[in-house]
Amino acid sequence: MSRKLKYSIFRYNPVDPDSKPGMQEFFLQETENLNLFVALNILREVQDPSIQFDFCCRAGICGACGMVINGRPGLACRTKTADLPDQVSLLPLPGFRLVGDLSVDTGSWFRAMNEKIRSWVHTDKEFDPQEQEVCMDNRVAEKIYELDRCIECGCCIAACATAQMRVDFLGAVAMNRIARFMIDPRDKRGHKDYFEVVGTDQGIFGCMGLLGCQDVCPKNIPLQDQLAYVRRKMGWQALRRLMPGQA
Amino acid sequence: MTTSRPACLDWLQMLTGICLVVFMYLHALFLASIILGPGAFNSLADFFEKYYLAQKGGPAIALVFLVHFFLAARKIPLSSREQKKFLSAAKMFRHRDTWLWMVQVVSAVVVLLLGAIHMWVVLTDLPITAEKSAARIQTGYWLVFYMLLLPMVELHVGIGWYRLGIKWGFIKSAARHRAKRAEYYLTTFFILLGLIILVRFLLLSS
Amino acid sequence: MRVIYTDLLCIGAGLAGERVAIEAAQAGFETVCLSLVPSRRSHSSAAQGGMQAALGNCIKGHGDCPDVHFQDTVKGSDWGCDQEVARMFVDNAPVAIRQMDYWGVPWNRVVAGRSCYYKGGERLEKEEPLEKTGLITARDFGGTARWRACFCSDGTGHAMLYPLDNVAVKYGVQVHDRTEALSLIHNGEQCLGAVVRCLKTGRLLAYLARATLIASGGFGRIYRASTNAVINEGGGQIIALDTGVVPLGNMEAVQFHPTGIVPTDILVTEGCRGDGGTLLDVKQERFMPGYEPEKAELASRDVVSRCMHEHMARGLGVKSPYGDHLWLDIRHLGREHISVKLREVDEICKNFLGIDPAEQLIPVRPTQHYSMGGVRTDKNGAAYGLKGLFSAGEAACWDMHGFNRLGGNSLSETVVAGMIVGRKIVEFLQGHEISLNTGLVRNELKKQQERINRLMSRDSGERVYDLRNRMQDILMDYVGIFRNEKDLNTAVDELREVLHRTGNLKLSSSGTGADPELALALRLPGMVRLALCVAYGALERRESRGSHARQDYPARNDRDWLVRTLACWPESRDLPRLEYEPATRIVEIPPGDRGYGGGGVIS
Repeated sequence: MSRKLKYSIFRYNPVDPDSKPGMQEFFLQETENLNLFVALNILREVQDPSIQFDFCCRAGICGACGMVINGRPGLACRTKTADLPDQVSLLPLPGFRLVGDLSVDTGSWFRAMNEKIRSWVHTDKEFDPQEQEVCMDNRVAEKIYELDRCIECGCCIAACATAQMRVDFLGAVAMNRIARFMIDPRDKRGHKDYFEVVGTDQGIFGCMGLLGCQDVCPKNIPLQDQLAYVRRKMGWQALRRLMPGQA
Repeated sequence: MTTSRPACLDWLQMLTGICLVVFMYLHALFLASIILGPGAFNSLADFFEKYYLAQKGGPAIALVFLVHFFLAARKIPLSSREQKKFLSAAKMFRHRDTWLWMVQVVSAVVVLLLGAIHMWVVLTDLPITAEKSAARIQTGYWLVFYMLLLPMVELHVGIGWYRLGIKWGFIKSAARHRAKRAEYYLTTFFILLGLIILVRFLLLSS
Repeated sequence: MRVIYTDLLCIGAGLAGERVAIEAAQAGFETVCLSLVPSRRSHSSAAQGGMQAALGNCIKGHGDCPDVHFQDTVKGSDWGCDQEVARMFVDNAPVAIRQMDYWGVPWNRVVAGRSCYYKGGERLEKEEPLEKTGLITARDFGGTARWRACFCSDGTGHAMLYPLDNVAVKYGVQVHDRTEALSLIHNGEQCLGAVVRCLKTGRLLAYLARATLIASGGFGRIYRASTNAVINEGGGQIIALDTGVVPLGNMEAVQFHPTGIVPTDILVTEGCRGDGGTLLDVKQERFMPGYEPEKAELASRDVVSRCMHEHMARGLGVKSPYGDHLWLDIRHLGREHISVKLREVDEICKNFLGIDPAEQLIPVRPTQHYSMGGVRTDKNGAAYGLKGLFSAGEAACWDMHGFNRLGGNSLSETVVAGMIVGRKIVEFLQGHEISLNTGLVRNELKKQQERINRLMSRDSGERVYDLRNRMQDILMDYVGIFRNEKDLNTAVDELREVLHRTGNLKLSSSGTGADPELALALRLPGMVRLALCVAYGALERRESRGSHARQDYPARNDRDWLVRTLACWPESRDLPRLEYEPATRIVEIPPGDRGYGGGGVIS
């Protein structure tokens, strides 16, 4: 006998003047292999076509479907109902502007973050189409890829009480990105350049080590270690700047 | 140009934190000498007096204690909007390390008040002797006072070093769960040790 | 009337769209990308296994060069591609990949020394020479003569998209995400921009641009089972077709990927087989060598998919509640290889199937994957029919893929075409001004607003999701891997009926704001038209070529059908008008044997 699951879904359409924020309940029979991607789409197709939520790749690759599932930020497409209790509460990710119901505007947030930390390879070298690529140790490439696996789903921001409290805090996603550039030999920025973007209370020194980020990251990126790495590097950089003769 | 201030303050917060962690654990171990008897306790105290560790070290620790509080207080939400945001985030997301931070904040406030009183009372009435301490605890009010201060200090110190290790990378992610378990054991140990010390003082005949 | 003006409007912000945008932004032009989702969530990010570029760095790629890549691509296309375009593509792929490296993509590198690898389950050894250490390496893929698929583990699309979007950020390319282009603004000769619906607020806007690019990816979601992201509903092709003057090329050429997982239809990369994985049947025995002794699992996708289909039809598939499937076996590659080189596959298996691919078999079957067809362009990326309209990437039929795309060639196409078309757009922008007719803009806005108003005010009518599901089922049932006249006739008839019914859609929701039902209702008639282009094109093409396999015309017919289908949709018709053009004007390699796939040829 399969379970009948109760979904409590946050509903609010900011564009509709008649809409009031609140939870709405839906019921759906559980089927084999059901996940929240399938369940929410059935609810939308059959019970209420106005529910807003975001899915894109539905394979845990694109990061579109971050939401708070029974109190925990995670990717809905990867969440199997078999792993959930009879009651499922779904909330939009906090920390991002609400588009409607479970849908939030992560795009603007991440674009602003990427602009702030200047998230691109900085180099003086011009690209020469005739030239062979610059050699790189495969271990370095794999290490960069490890950190590049971040999908900007926003779960680390939603799970970070510091980011929730301080709206200008850049969060683990930004520190991980900076760590990625620090280990990339193609990025010619030095620690003093990185210090300019993350050596602040909005950056690494705003992190209080709560580790919500590490515990929810759907890609299992070692955020704890990256945050510590950036803190140490930026900490030393600050001391270096205090030395006489150093800018 | 970005200032170095946040970084330097973070350094100071860490260094003062480490000082206090080391001090608090040593402090507890010195107190534990009472278990061996007032003689052991008093000769240790004499030792500290002789080398001016109590007279000079005491106020120094008090200073570190205050500096640490003000550094750490930068992180405590002051506006009610921020407090609400933190609380609602913590409530939604039942996550131990986030709640432990709340424990740190609450214990910090308690330790600031009670710890300051304790230091004032002890440091204005040097030398430290087993008899004077026992007399204080045997009044009853002070027993309650220490029963509150003890767990607060130990929780704050335990979570404190765990958090420091996480933040600066002394504790890697692979070791995190072991470190946390160690933190629980150590905190429990020192709370129990503190209780035994209190009982010992309580039972010390004057 | 709210109007946004820009030099270049890119509809779509995946790899192709952004690559073009960067080219224009670098040349100093203002560039706006529209995207259904934040640019980094584009379906480009889901490409897994690799990008083809003939670098020839690794030992198994030794001797590779653009010429070999060209041959593979043309054979892969079953001689359906435009050889001039394929040539431009293979020559520029090494430059494009090195530029991606320069921009920060962490390509896996050659590691000197001996190591083992697998081919068809057999363990072999290779030794990489010292002098190539640290250069970009490659893995084996289907239908290629050398190891040529350069990769970042199996998250290559993601690992390319992020650095590319970084560069877009650097050059100030604006991305207006959560927007959907509803129609192109044009005067029958020139494209002037698009009418766009904001998917955050539901508001309509006009974007006017001197050049407009369609780079919105494929339309796989007209099928019920597809590896595509849910956003791949063909928005770009729809607005091109709706102009009535821009033709879509080779819409019947639809690729089925051999390894979509069962259930959920999520892709696991061809890299699994490239790295030595095998396909097994219900008896857990390899069957591909029986069909393709030479290439076995690494024949081109159309061929492997057909063999799998045939094998299941013989009753040798594995029965499951979700229909028959076969097994993909990568257990012998070992846990370490899987966790480093096939990481996404590992995650997908664990998260979606609850299995450990290092210990267990992966249930797979051929699943709709790629649209070779799309907005027909010339070699410069300029769309037929409207000046100022361009297209690139999967959305386009530039046509280097013909009737079957090789694995790893699409990822490569996005950045190569992006680079080439981008340059051509820059040249175009340097010498092209438009004169604005505000009446034209206002009319188009009004037309779209009226569509919305009609949908929101209709009291009774057809349910949006029912009709979408109907369309998807028709394609699944009648326009699959193997096709025949009877099925295709049925498909065309039934799709025409569905199209007719989409004229009477009724919303169950209010349609206010970013209402998702309204968005689908606006898109659906266009999707059905695309479906009709596919089905009708397939019905009319009386031969088998690449992925288009007709049971009633099993031979490739180079005598009559070495042509590209062009589908136009004149207003108020219920079928596209089909025309044909030669598949290629320049012939480097005359039609011949592919070296796999068998089948007859009429020449």
